[in-house]
Amino acid sequence: MLFKKRAERLFMWVFFPLALLMPMFLEQNEYYVNKLTTIMILSIFVMSLDYLVGKCGLITLGHAMFYGLGGYLFVILAPEYEAVNFWVYTFYICAISAAIALVIGLLVLRTSGIYMIMITLAFAQMTFYYFSGSIDYGGTDGVFVYVKPETSIFGLSLFDLDNPTHFYYLCLLSLFNTLLFFKVLVRSQFGRVVDAIQVNPGRTTALGYNIFVYKLMSYVVASALGAYAGYLFTLQYGFVNPSMLSWTTSGTALVMLILGGIGSIYGAILGTITYEGLHYTLEHWTEHWMLFMGGLIILMVMVFKKGIAGFLEDLLEKRDGK
Amino acid sequence: MENNVILETEGLCKYWGGLKALDNLSLAFHDKQLHGIVGPNGAGKSTLLNMLCGHYKPTSGEIIYRGESISSIKPFEFARRGIGRSFQKTNIYTNATCLENCCVAVQRLMGGSFNFFRSRYSQKMLDDIATKALEKVGLAHRRDYIASQISYGEQRQLEIAMVLATSPALLLLDEPMAGMGHEESQLIINLLNTLKKEYCIVLVEHDMDAIFELSDQLTVMVDGQHLVTGSVDEVREDARVKEAYLGQGDEVY
Repeated sequence: MLFKKRAERLFMWVFFPLALLMPMFLEQNEYYVNKLTTIMILSIFVMSLDYLVGKCGLITLGHAMFYGLGGYLFVILAPEYEAVNFWVYTFYICAISAAIALVIGLLVLRTSGIYMIMITLAFAQMTFYYFSGSIDYGGTDGVFVYVKPETSIFGLSLFDLDNPTHFYYLCLLSLFNTLLFFKVLVRSQFGRVVDAIQVNPGRTTALGYNIFVYKLMSYVVASALGAYAGYLFTLQYGFVNPSMLSWTTSGTALVMLILGGIGSIYGAILGTITYEGLHYTLEHWTEHWMLFMGGLIILMVMVFKKGIAGFLEDLLEKRDGK
Repeated sequence: MENNVILETEGLCKYWGGLKALDNLSLAFHDKQLHGIVGPNGAGKSTLLNMLCGHYKPTSGEIIYRGESISSIKPFEFARRGIGRSFQKTNIYTNATCLENCCVAVQRLMGGSFNFFRSRYSQKMLDDIATKALEKVGLAHRRDYIASQISYGEQRQLEIAMVLATSPALLLLDEPMAGMGHEESQLIINLLNTLKKEYCIVLVEHDMDAIFELSDQLTVMVDGQHLVTGSVDEVREDARVKEAYLGQGDEVY
């Protein structure tokens, strides 16, 4: 069984049907559909980070680099006034990001812990300053996307990306696939070695595994998916700018992850919803929303020690025990 | 006897700065024999094991495995060539079941570790081989227990099972009986007595009774240097060994 914990199954049965029906409830309210779409996209990003941090033990503060690259690669590669194919560019962007992650991973993964945090941060900041300073790519203003890609496969076009509801469903489908992919990956034979490395790298080497290769592959996969999320984000808002690459983007994703529950995969969605929900509520209530947000996050981290996912799991297991 | 040498060291040295942890050590380890290594604390026993399994690189000298120098290969390649290692401090996956612990070991042999999609839980053959390794050390009844929940002695047995599951030719065991009660030690002694019929075992141990009982060859080390190698009886009678362990008798107290 892919979803072993009761909390996971509960989440799957509640979240996805609800998310599927959501646009119907919101009918013509484009603002909320867009908001939810962003949550789906961020969830993909946070989930790919969770795989690195929670499953592989690779703590990075530079994941936003791939998020931003997803966007920038699109505006660099795609012609400005011509609709390209969405799926073809998905492939291009993921493949190029994977190649970049492979090269950077070769350097970054030689370190661990605090050093790895610093080096990933350094790489992300390098790209951040490169794009903020580049005239070709709009400097700090970024670049606009004038024409959105079309999504036909073999002549069949399922999604119209200019339609917010269609775009919402595309992102929901992507999120569902990402979740499934990571769950399968964690359960796989590759996942067994990744688990072993996280718990006890020394033992795993002594059993004959070249642990560097496994870390590198995990890094490449998670980075490619992070770039995919950035690509979706760029298509949604029709522009890319350096703030996507900023270290605060990485930091926010980590906060979402910690809120949701590190290492649970589906917790990434819970964390993103909670964070964005809080953000939205507080922002409309007071100008000093960050003050309250910070306080609430501290409180939540103290109450839910293993994140919201961990809290749910404990709750349901306790009920099982009785 | 000379022709079944599996592993040899030639002039092996390890210096930590100015400290000679291991100085010019030349030893030969034979198949289907248990080679005991004893010596006072700081004699360089663990350093030697750490080099034989690739954990440390020698400062100079060679490690020759089946006639080929392996001093410069990567640590994980030692295990791939059949050099299995148990550590002084129990080194297992404490969060996983005993079966899963062994499965990690077996999977390295069976392949499939780069398969992103095939479930690790549907590998019957892999599970069977892992179970056999557990049976070999007498842990079959703990198969589905989480490794952190079994006793300390059993964890040591589990570690040996994991090493066996990689089907090694050579076992490097670093104090497998450390911290064990008498009965638990006896279990390990019995186990090693069976295993030495199949494998070459290098055993570092402080329990003298155990090592005298088990060893076919015994090496005594002092201060990073080789003192004497021979059968248990030869070593027992050797004047230099008595001197190293008991002192010359002319110190002024």
